[in-house]
Amino acid sequence: MIELRDVVRSYPGEPPIHALDGVSLRIDRGELLAIIGPSGSGKSTLLNVMGTLDRPTDGSLLIDGVDTRSLSERRLCALRANHLGFVFQSFHLIESARVIENVANGLIYQGVARNERLRRAARALEQVGLGDRTTTKPSKLSGGQRQRVAIARALVSEPSLILADEPTGNLDSGTSDEVLNLLTDLNREHGATIAIITHDEDVANRLPRRVQVLDGKIVGTTTTEQVAR
Amino acid sequence: MNRPFSRSRSTDDSPGRSRLRTADRFRTGLGGLGSRPARTLLTALGIAIGIASMVAVVGISSSSKADLLAELDELGTNLLQVRPGQSIFGDESLLPIDAQSMLAAVATVDSTAGVTSIRADVTRNVHDDDPYGLGVIATDGDIHSVLQLELEQGRAIDRRTQELPVAVLGSVAAERLAIDTLDGGPTVAIAGRSFQVIGILRSHPLHPDLDRSVFVGHRFAEVQMGMKPNHTSVYVRARPDRIDVTRPILARTANPAAPNEVQVSRPSDALEAQAKVDQNLQNLLLALGGVALLVGGVGIANIMVISVIERRSEIGLRRALGARKGHIRSQFVIEASALAALGGTIGVGFGIAATYVYASSQNWTVDIPAPALAAGIGAALVIGAVAGLYPAAKAANLDPADAVRPHS
Ligand SMILES: Nc1ncnc2c1ncn2[C@@H]1O[C@H](COP(=O)(O)OP(=O)(O)O)[C@@H](O)[C@H]1O
Ligand SMILES: [Mg+2]
Repeated sequence: MIELRDVVRSYPGEPPIHALDGVSLRIDRGELLAIIGPSGSGKSTLLNVMGTLDRPTDGSLLIDGVDTRSLSERRLCALRANHLGFVFQSFHLIESARVIENVANGLIYQGVARNERLRRAARALEQVGLGDRTTTKPSKLSGGQRQRVAIARALVSEPSLILADEPTGNLDSGTSDEVLNLLTDLNREHGATIAIITHDEDVANRLPRRVQVLDGKIVGTTTTEQVAR
Repeated sequence: MNRPFSRSRSTDDSPGRSRLRTADRFRTGLGGLGSRPARTLLTALGIAIGIASMVAVVGISSSSKADLLAELDELGTNLLQVRPGQSIFGDESLLPIDAQSMLAAVATVDSTAGVTSIRADVTRNVHDDDPYGLGVIATDGDIHSVLQLELEQGRAIDRRTQELPVAVLGSVAAERLAIDTLDGGPTVAIAGRSFQVIGILRSHPLHPDLDRSVFVGHRFAEVQMGMKPNHTSVYVRARPDRIDVTRPILARTANPAAPNEVQVSRPSDALEAQAKVDQNLQNLLLALGGVALLVGGVGIANIMVISVIERRSEIGLRRALGARKGHIRSQFVIEASALAALGGTIGVGFGIAATYVYASSQNWTVDIPAPALAAGIGAALVIGAVAGLYPAAKAANLDPADAVRPHS
């Protein structure tokens, strides 16, 4: 459903930084995969390119076989609003807004009416186990709860692809497991395609497929079957 | 789960849309304000001061003018003054003896009063030769009713006393002559003769020249002082609704032989001109209020730029959620406009309050034109929108990939 072909993303400088240096990667519908690599290896850049927040300097990104280079800015926004969900390491919650409003914002740029948004947001919060915290302000929540709010915001729009950039990076191992379980459940029970970026081997090892990134290049792919063997 | 692009459709088919409902545009725009109430209020204050000063200036000047116009109405804009002008040879001309009676006969004229100025020095007593710069006016008494002159003390010259050596002082004349009471029978000297002061007038806003005059009997001046009986000024009270048709025929009526030697004027015009001078002052103050508004607008732009920097990650998030540049731009423009509109509303409130306080300290009736209030809030909105344009463009043009990254 999403494919990168020889993607290069470089930042000008002396010398120029090649954050992505010829990455080719294919993710199929319903997959759950980890993108793993050390800090600075280009994982976030890769995720931003996959999420159309960033454009490749060279190479192409195909979504459902359509080359995104042919899409206007406006249609990329539409794509993000309707088909992509993001989860970030630092949650990106609006602190002044209640939990349910934060989740409902996942639908706001689809033009969904407010009542409908709130209804679906309540359901999404139910799904992540926060059905009783809808009117709380995010600042009153623990890190694990905050990340679950962010996940609810990503899944409320029922996206085709969820991109999570170090979703457990700011969490201790207990809450980290909670969040990971939530994402794997989403994949198993709802068939969501999910890419999780991490630099944590333990997190990666719980996912069926792992893509290893180093210095802007993919240096290896393993699947659980291979590991088991 | 739906698919972004179905293979059966061409790539021109929309994968859904990115759109923000109008209500949500406002909701996102206003959301930023409520979360920082103290900053919101402080920023709005700049605009509030500008708008308040403009509303107060308009309100106060309009209240003062309302009073001036009410005063004018009371004094009568229907009063005309007929005086001799100059002959074509440059000599001072005279009004005909029967000018007043001719004018009184005009159908649209309600009443008339004729007076004659006398060139004579007025002093405190006959031995004093230090003149006080006062005028002397001879009257038979009808001037009091026609001009609505009011007495502070004593009585006026009338048909009977106009034959006697008596005088009535205008308010300024009384002050200069240091006569503030009729007790003890004060006298003044005019052209070397002693006159008994029988009355002192109140000041009259429409006739400052009369305030500086001493009135004597017309008959006495004519008989005893050799004054020419021709009037030097005939006051004409016209029917209020016919003032426009009356004015043009007065010169001809007063002096049919030489109408061009007659001057007709309207004393209330002078007061009205005074109101026009106030207009200049008002414009100046309005300009100052405008400068305050400009400063307030710069303040808003400033705080919005800071807000955009602080809310970088929110902007990144919104782009990730599918917001278009235009959605981000409108969010910040609306926020800036709302900030200014809040300031405008507070300012209008302060402006009204200031007008009330000042007007009541002056005993004026409060008059604040509604368009000024609407203009105040409208101006604030426009200033806010303009002030928000640059920060909003900055927000919209943030690179989304950069904005979602933690710090930097
Ligand atoms: N906006 C940028 N300008 C210049 N260099 C950047 C920018 N963003 C990322 N980089 C560089 O690209 C490389 C990859 O960064 P990133 O994708 O964030 O790695 P990771 O997420 O794996 O830590 C790093 O060397 C980083 O310094
Ligand atoms: Mg990263």
